[in-house]
Amino acid sequence: MTDFAFPFFFNYPPYFTLQPVKETRQRQIDLWSDLILRYCRHNKEYTLSSDPADDSPLFYNKRIERRLNREARIIFLSELCQRGNAQWLDKSQQQCLILWKKLGEWADVLYSFIRQFGLQDSVMTLDELSSGDDVKGTELEGVPNALLLEVIRLLEAQGKAQMFSGDGDVGVKFS
Amino acid sequence: MRRRPGIQGLQRTVQARDQYKELGKNVAETKLEQMRAQMASFKEHLEEFALKHREDIRKDPVFRAQFHTMCANIGVDPLASNKGVWAQVLGFGDFYYELGVQIVEACLASRSLNGGLMDMQSLMRYVATRRGSKADPVTEDDVLRAIDKLQVLGGGFGVVRVGDRRLVRSVPGELNTDKNQALLLAQGRGHISKRQLTEAYHWEEPRVVETLWSLLKEGIAMADDQGPDGQRLYWFPCLESSGSVQVDVPA
Repeated sequence: MTDFAFPFFFNYPPYFTLQPVKETRQRQIDLWSDLILRYCRHNKEYTLSSDPADDSPLFYNKRIERRLNREARIIFLSELCQRGNAQWLDKSQQQCLILWKKLGEWADVLYSFIRQFGLQDSVMTLDELSSGDDVKGTELEGVPNALLLEVIRLLEAQGKAQMFSGDGDVGVKFS
Repeated sequence: MRRRPGIQGLQRTVQARDQYKELGKNVAETKLEQMRAQMASFKEHLEEFALKHREDIRKDPVFRAQFHTMCANIGVDPLASNKGVWAQVLGFGDFYYELGVQIVEACLASRSLNGGLMDMQSLMRYVATRRGSKADPVTEDDVLRAIDKLQVLGGGFGVVRVGDRRLVRSVPGELNTDKNQALLLAQGRGHISKRQLTEAYHWEEPRVVETLWSLLKEGIAMADDQGPDGQRLYWFPCLESSGSVQVDVPA
């Protein structure tokens, strides 16, 4: 994988401090949310943490010694949530699912995989859907359970899947 | 014995005056005629000169600047109109018109990043990239001329001096002396703190606070709370000519 090319503002210190002036802050939010999405898509990252102790190279620029604090992370990630490009995994906004493919797109990917392999009517576990032999080399490979669950819930709402759990494991049946 | 003025004398005086008037008129007319002829031949020569050196004027920025100086000395403005002989002979109008458009483009593209103040070097780089390597070279002198012409459009285009640096302003409003001083102090490092500003000019606290806040408000400065000693640093994107704040040039 090629190295991710960070944009100019990533090396300019004030962009790591939430700007006090409204217009400047809006610009900052736009730049950051675009960057977060591009970075995660490039590196196939699915979740980000708002915990400032988490030193993701995305939120901490070692070279200029600047990092985003929790408030800034939450504001930028929330902007992505509003655009449908992210979703908080908990009410306390600790972990955030980054949807560089929107949920609807993931649902299409999953459902066409199921049809392609004729897996309708068979019960699948989440593990099989993200790391089974059939998904190797497809876009589904490595998708975390948290994302899979959201996608399956969406398909369920469309009447294309049914989820049931037993023994602490989740099974899905597609139709 | 002194004679009293008679009819004849009066008539002679009037006659003489008329003759003088006539003569004066003739002289004035001849002079005017001469002037006209001189102007015509001068204009002709200037045009000849411009035509003869047309390529040099267009291609060689130094020569172009000298030509402009010469024109300014004799009170001719080759950029005054896009219709005149000058524009037609030199294609000047198009050159500066195009340059003006590129300048406006650069300023608008970077405005939200730098509050409408753009470093001259950054602007020159943008323009050069935008024009491509095949276009005739452009100097700072050309850019200044084009900006001068942009001023008629309103919109606040102008050039601000901060020390020996030139900044191109694309938003209306004046950079008052205090803000200019703050920028001047920030030149080397690209940023200043409240303390540095206070110590450098011995201003009272409210003056310092007001200056910095108004720079923030106008988008000319950005706040950074992660400086080494915990003091808020004020950064000025318009002072970054090194490329850490740049505008993407549309392909």
